[in-house]
Amino acid sequence: MAIWVKQSLRLLQHELRRGELTIICLAIVLAVATVFSLSGFSSQIKQSLINNSTSFIAADRVLQSSRPVEQSILQYSDENSLNRAEQIQMSSMVFAGDNMQISEIKVISNTYPLRGELLVRKHIGEAPVVEHAPARGTVWVEPSLLKTLNLSLGDKVEVGVSTFVIAGIATQIPDASFSLFTSGPNVIVNIDDIAATELIQPGSRLTYKYLFSGEINDIEAFEKWIKPQVNESQRWYDIKSRQSPLANALNRAEKYLSLASMLGIVLAAVAVAVASRRYSQRHQPTVAVFKAMGASLKHIRKLYLLHWSLLCLFSIGLGLVLGFILLQVGLFGVSDSLPVGDAKFSFYPFIIAVVTGLICAIAFAVTPIKLLIETSPLAVIRGFSAQPTVTSDSAAGNSLVKKGKSKLKNFGWQQLLPFSALFALLIMFSGDAKLSIALLLGGLIVALILLGLGRLFMNAGRSMGSRAGKAWHLAMANLRRRASENSVQLVSFTIAIKLLLLILVMKNSLIDDWQQQLPDNTANRFLVNITQQQVTSVGEFIDQNNIQASEFYPVVRGRLSSINDEKLIKQVTKEENKASDNGRRGVGRELNLTWRQTLPDKNIITQGQWWSENDTETLSVNKTESLGQVSVEQTLAKRLEIKLGDVLIFQIGSDQVEVPVTSIRKVDWQSLQPNFYMIFNTKVLADFPATYISSLYVKPEKTLDLQLFLNQYPTISMIDVDAMIGQLRSVIDQVSVAIEFILVLVVLAGSLVLVAQVQASMEEREREIAILRTLGAKGSLLRASVLYEFFALGAIAGTMASAAMELAVFVLQTQVFNMEASLHPLYWLLGIFVGAGFVGSIGYISCWRLLNMSSVTLIRRTM
Amino acid sequence: MTKSVKLEEKTLDLLQDINLDVNAGDTLAIVGSSGSGKTTLLSILAGLDLPTTGEVYLKKHSLHQCNEEQRSEIRANHVGFIFQQFLLVNSLTALENVMLPAELANMDNAEQLAKDLLTQVDLGDRLDHYPSQLSGGEQQRVGIARAFISKPDILFADEPTGNLDSKTGRNVADLLFDLNKQFGTTLVLVTHDLKLAARCQRQVIMDSGCLVEGKVEEIVEDAAEDIAEDIQKEQVESPAENLAQSKAASEG
Repeated sequence: MAIWVKQSLRLLQHELRRGELTIICLAIVLAVATVFSLSGFSSQIKQSLINNSTSFIAADRVLQSSRPVEQSILQYSDENSLNRAEQIQMSSMVFAGDNMQISEIKVISNTYPLRGELLVRKHIGEAPVVEHAPARGTVWVEPSLLKTLNLSLGDKVEVGVSTFVIAGIATQIPDASFSLFTSGPNVIVNIDDIAATELIQPGSRLTYKYLFSGEINDIEAFEKWIKPQVNESQRWYDIKSRQSPLANALNRAEKYLSLASMLGIVLAAVAVAVASRRYSQRHQPTVAVFKAMGASLKHIRKLYLLHWSLLCLFSIGLGLVLGFILLQVGLFGVSDSLPVGDAKFSFYPFIIAVVTGLICAIAFAVTPIKLLIETSPLAVIRGFSAQPTVTSDSAAGNSLVKKGKSKLKNFGWQQLLPFSALFALLIMFSGDAKLSIALLLGGLIVALILLGLGRLFMNAGRSMGSRAGKAWHLAMANLRRRASENSVQLVSFTIAIKLLLLILVMKNSLIDDWQQQLPDNTANRFLVNITQQQVTSVGEFIDQNNIQASEFYPVVRGRLSSINDEKLIKQVTKEENKASDNGRRGVGRELNLTWRQTLPDKNIITQGQWWSENDTETLSVNKTESLGQVSVEQTLAKRLEIKLGDVLIFQIGSDQVEVPVTSIRKVDWQSLQPNFYMIFNTKVLADFPATYISSLYVKPEKTLDLQLFLNQYPTISMIDVDAMIGQLRSVIDQVSVAIEFILVLVVLAGSLVLVAQVQASMEEREREIAILRTLGAKGSLLRASVLYEFFALGAIAGTMASAAMELAVFVLQTQVFNMEASLHPLYWLLGIFVGAGFVGSIGYISCWRLLNMSSVTLIRRTM
Repeated sequence: MTKSVKLEEKTLDLLQDINLDVNAGDTLAIVGSSGSGKTTLLSILAGLDLPTTGEVYLKKHSLHQCNEEQRSEIRANHVGFIFQQFLLVNSLTALENVMLPAELANMDNAEQLAKDLLTQVDLGDRLDHYPSQLSGGEQQRVGIARAFISKPDILFADEPTGNLDSKTGRNVADLLFDLNKQFGTTLVLVTHDLKLAARCQRQVIMDSGCLVEGKVEEIVEDAAEDIAEDIQKEQVESPAENLAQSKAASEG
């Protein structure tokens, strides 16, 4: 074995056994374990969240089309071992004797649904069972159809030219659309029966849905293949691409999990940077002695590259084991609220953790190890400084001043590699350039400002300390004297505290946002089709039963026919495709028009002004010429290029209404309340026959009363969104639990970075404490001074971290999570106190052993 | 030979017009007060540093023309060191510390040689001890064993007893000179301890970066007298000390 290998192994073996590499090893172990557990946890959680939510679309992916798709697509999916189901949707009249009802015909294949459960009650009084498709010749219907057509199980209905027996009541349809204005209750028909109904005719308005599910890799491969082939009349989507509160929650949760894992990586990188610097300093004397004894640069280089590599490999291995344990603990911790068992084991966390470990170990260690290898043998005579003495053949002694200047110049270049590596890691990990740049650039600017501010604070501390008693004075003098090392330490403290605050604030802010979106009294029933005459009695029922309800919104159906005398036929036809592309109804068909005096909740005027009461008084209604006003929803306004002042003409029945646009509104489509594209001022539409809608929050004990009450009014339709809200809430709860756990992991990682950093500075303090003890400093003075020094460091770091956090949260809220920006003064207090308390106590505990050693022992240890 | 460093605008002359020959087998002491430049001279002579002007030869090698790597090789093959701070590698045992120069010089039987040397310096039973488990005197004995293992042509000792009490210092010096005699090594010793310097065949004095000739014998004569006095005192004090120790032991 070569001498350098032998020496490298010998050094590593002894140093590991003697605990000399513990802190360095711990930092890398920590980095790898954090990244492993965070990435593993978030990927499993993401997977299981998506698995749990895919029931909302009854599949992993859906290809929607207005025409049947080519057989080759379906064939390819079969070849890729995907599961497949087909669905055709259309509106049609369903007849039962003399009664009829416009219904949503849902034609399904036997494999439907691929995700989630279709629940069907086969016999009155029995619990619903999980089903796939009705037997041929039978249909399953929604309860409201039975009510309106006065039917029961076993009765017959006519769909198209065929007659079907009602064999079941569909109580839960996984991908039922939530729309207040659907054409009617669902009637579920087997796909093999559809031809006989003769409902599919040229020109029929049909929606074909091809549902796919399978292993994540197979699905992704298929997605990659099919996406470029999706044409204008088709749409390829997954659960996250739907405009729904759920998709929104999932997307945000995913971003949060990415963010948390990215912060984990940054913390890991900080830990490795601290560790490699420490490594370099620690081995300087050894390198100098080796060189003085005649070891060549090549020998030292090989020796230490092997030494560092082995140390890294050892630590990465240990980190993987620890990370695996942490991950299992985490998954066990959330298993009650989130079934993660379904999520497949993946190599992803292993790969990402090892790559992170390696990249950090290489990029962050290059400069310190280069400096270490270049340590001059002259150091054996001249002594060791915090910065390794660099060899210079021309004049080693002459280089002192030059070094100072070039150090500053080199700083930028030296930091370029680790920063690029970190950036690459973040991009690789999140795939989100915006988030990565925000995190890194923000971090860089903050770090630079911090370095400057930290010095200022420490200087200010010294002048304050000089008036604050001996221990404070000593503490501040120490801070000042170690300003350069302390600045670095301060930056890493600050970054750790900042990241912890950031993740905490974002967690609370996200969860609050969701909870605001779905408060306890979120509307769970919608009443549609209430006539003018029924409004009073429905209102009375609501009042008597203390039911929370929105007001009654009048609805008149009308078609937007012209904008400023320009007929819309062409535009509307063109837009129809787009409208169906994003799945929102409106233009191209009749719109639901409403009128009201006040701006509805969760509507924000973005242009123009909402009308005042006076405007309404002066208005008159004229069926050809109106002095009314209309407020238009902003995406529709953008789509149809409607501007303030444009005059819109609506065709309502055989009449026309002409109104100028006086405002443009932003509408929160995710709010569970009636929302409208067009709102008119009061009385414009008052002469037209209107129906009313309202949203209610009905407590479980009142649902039966409501049902009985509504039985008197068969024309009123009730839409029950309880199940959907329940599902949504459970997904959000699961995400919240996952996020809480992620927070714990990041806090743990951050805390350990702090501990490692404090530990790393201990050896520097050892000699100093020894000298002070020898000179007769009392134990109490030294203890107080150490406590104050760390306390001050922690408080300064906490203050700067809070400021940095506020900045980062602002960017994240406004740029990444699309939320309202907010200030967090309470977290500033938390940052400062927790910073001071944590760093102070960790420092104090770490020094405790030293402070209680006898002077002789201390001197023996340090000399 | 000269050595100067630039500090901002000023030039500081550390060594001025140094002329020095050391013959093989000589023992030479460089004495002088702190800051006189003796350590700088030693580091240039040993090839750790380079002169600003002038020439330095070690055997046939012109050190002033060698780069760091060439000087490393020369050090590995010809030079041994003893340091005031001992500078043992903390994470290596006594045995491994001693083996180090032999391994770097590619000697075959490094381990056996190291064991023999450690036995010779009375540390045969401390082979596996780490430096932190040894006293200062013991650490310096390891340092001495390490210095001789590669049988260097020339040994540089920088204040070898500077960190030791006088009695231990004397023992260590005895060991150093004994081994030096045994191996026939050229010894260059830097010290401000004139008593130690007096044990060398030749002495030169460094004063403000210059080698001052002529006063050496005089200073050393004084020092020799001091040594004689010390030895006498020790002979008188020792019985009393022995008595006190045995009394304490019997009481304990």
